[in-house]
Amino acid sequence: MSAQNIRDAVIIGGNRIPFARAHTAYATAGNQDMLTSTLNGLVARFGLQGEQIGTVAAGAVMKHSKNFNLTRESVLGTPLDPKTPAFDVQMACATGMEAIGSMANKIKLGQIDSAIAGGVDSISDAPIVVTDELRGILMEANRAKSVSQRLKALAKIRPGHLAPQAPGVNEPRTGMSMGEHMAITAHAWGITREEQDELALASHKNLAGAYDRGFFDDLITPFKGVSRDTNMRADSTMEKLGKLSPAFGRDLGSEATMTAANSTALTDGASAVLLGSEEWADQHDLPKLANFIDYEEGAVDFVDGAEGLLMAPAYAAARMLKRNNLSFSDFEYLEIHEAFASTVLAQIKAWESEEFCKNKLGLDSALGTIDRSRLNVNGSSLAAGHPFAATGGRIVAALAKALHGKPGKLGFISVCAAGGQGITAIIEGR
Amino acid sequence: MSTEAVRTEPVRTESLRNESRITEIEMPSLSSLYGRAALGAARSKLRPGTGARSLPERTLLAKHPGVSAEQAESYRRLFGGEAFDGAHRTALPSVLVHIIGFPVQMALMSQDDFPLPLIGLVHVANEVEHRRPVRVGQPVQILVAAENLRPHRRGTQVDITVTVLEAGADPATVDVTAADSTTTTPAAAGHAGSGEASVLWRSVSTYLSKGAQLGTENSQASISQASGAEQVGSSAAVRSEDRESFVPPVKTASWRLGADAGRAYAAVSGDYNPIHVSQLAAKTLGMPAAIVHGMYSAGRMLEGREPEGAGHRWWIRFEAPVTLPGTVAFAAQPQGPKTVRFTGWNPRKAKRHFSAELQLP
Repeated sequence: MSAQNIRDAVIIGGNRIPFARAHTAYATAGNQDMLTSTLNGLVARFGLQGEQIGTVAAGAVMKHSKNFNLTRESVLGTPLDPKTPAFDVQMACATGMEAIGSMANKIKLGQIDSAIAGGVDSISDAPIVVTDELRGILMEANRAKSVSQRLKALAKIRPGHLAPQAPGVNEPRTGMSMGEHMAITAHAWGITREEQDELALASHKNLAGAYDRGFFDDLITPFKGVSRDTNMRADSTMEKLGKLSPAFGRDLGSEATMTAANSTALTDGASAVLLGSEEWADQHDLPKLANFIDYEEGAVDFVDGAEGLLMAPAYAAARMLKRNNLSFSDFEYLEIHEAFASTVLAQIKAWESEEFCKNKLGLDSALGTIDRSRLNVNGSSLAAGHPFAATGGRIVAALAKALHGKPGKLGFISVCAAGGQGITAIIEGR
Repeated sequence: MSTEAVRTEPVRTESLRNESRITEIEMPSLSSLYGRAALGAARSKLRPGTGARSLPERTLLAKHPGVSAEQAESYRRLFGGEAFDGAHRTALPSVLVHIIGFPVQMALMSQDDFPLPLIGLVHVANEVEHRRPVRVGQPVQILVAAENLRPHRRGTQVDITVTVLEAGADPATVDVTAADSTTTTPAAAGHAGSGEASVLWRSVSTYLSKGAQLGTENSQASISQASGAEQVGSSAAVRSEDRESFVPPVKTASWRLGADAGRAYAAVSGDYNPIHVSQLAAKTLGMPAAIVHGMYSAGRMLEGREPEGAGHRWWIRFEAPVTLPGTVAFAAQPQGPKTVRFTGWNPRKAKRHFSAELQLP
């Protein structure tokens, strides 16, 4: 096989619906409703009616079993050509980044000329299932060959089996919530309450400022009467944030630092990004905001606490920067997903730590400092909210727009995920 | 060290003595044993001046047909481990081997000449040497003996040893005492046809009978015997750390146990001891609430950590019982490449439930 030419994967634009706090504005909307509406907005924005897209990749972290083909079913609900193939992706909170990165790779290889990638999540319409015991009994009754066998199986049902089961938010192998895990990492890195509150405040101020500048005008379409992220608190102050009691790591007592305000709220929402080759964008007379340069997956051994649950991006970034011969000072903007304020701060402290970079990342020296004035400049998850699979699409579209008109300027992305995983990525303005 | 005398005793002599006291029984049923225990509670055991003051010399032997695939699967469902797929996982977890030996322990402890009342006996420590894999469906022989009856500040303690042998082995050639097998393992395992080579698994379970006092005439002798026993007996019991100065380590997991956690373990193990399955019974027996089985904690901490090829050993020492429903904060702390220290505690009261250690081969 001859060596293939690698071509640019261009980020053309994006669309999302405003993110809404769980059990509020989108309480009656499901994943498919939100993803379809988001795709419809993208189709309308870029005139894709009747267009056959190379592939659509998207996913949801919390998905009903009936939505086994969520993305394909959503595509069929849009004006896109029904011959557009689609598939579902799932990599916890990095779902959107994985969908985008893998679609960019297909475009680079020339396998497809265009792609849509994104994600959606609903806390309000989370799949409620029956207990393992009840499911086992119902399945046994289903397999029964006689009425008496069936009755014998069903007679095993006990009242306790009937309680509905909400999807677990805890790490299956530790039984600890993400917040509990993060509290341990934050404590180990000595991250203060004040630093976290400052980061949270900056997120709200930056997001509100971006709305005021009209930055999101061509990135968001309203949904169910909502036109701005409902979690945003433009009028927040350090005093207000300082009054909150710790929400995670309470067993640290007076050293607990993580509150509801410096941790992301549970939210509903969806996002999508349109990608294409340069030729495809030109043929369709579409904008070319940025190139998707590279991305890297990472995972850490968190189960017995050898590394923090949300620290995988620290490792992925080191490998990705080395491969591209870059350092943090080469980036115009940095987007570090604010799962918790302390997640961002722990990654930054790790990259600044000579000890961590030498011992854990195998480098000769620290990776370097992060210029805070370039970090999450248009707000991040603490203010916007974090519908798990939708976060990658939110970040990539906004960062591409921020870098548009700055050819050659680079943007860095870090997104952590459950299961000790994470993704980092590089995009380049054009 | 006083244990040397026990250890250097020739295996052959021990074997001859052993043969004369083995009593073979049918695999007992726990439910009927608990029924007898309730009756036994009414009888006087170890009240001052009454009851037996020494342990029965006999070793019980029961043949077990092997753990069924169904029981292994129910165990796996309880602890959420990897599947017993018949290819990559066929070896039983240590705690499942304990489960099949437990009815034989109970049979020994419920015999008329056993000096402590069965009801109210508290499991305080357990130590296991898991020499070789015991597979799903593998028939085994289970030998159980009691030793080291000794006074404790809160009553009387005893060690029950369980030795699990290959089905065809001659149980008379096996040493059933708790003598620390680090000294016997390499040498004895090397003797072709020797009894030790047929040992798959052995354990020492230490129980405390609260309030039971050894007879006054023998107490002096018992105490001096006990000081040696502490060393030859469950080393878990003596590897205790200072209870008063417990500083919780960094948590690595959190176990949320529902009110039915005792019933769920009972359904897998057959151990329906009322203190684990009924709030009312637990309170009647002096517990603040129903408590989870100690070996549930052992099984949960070991899940996914035991090597398929065995050769590992572990101990656990139980402190404050885990009342139900409840949350246990848990820490696994590697102490080098082959040793992991475990701690379970109450995250609200910083009170330790157990400390334990796993030593990999």
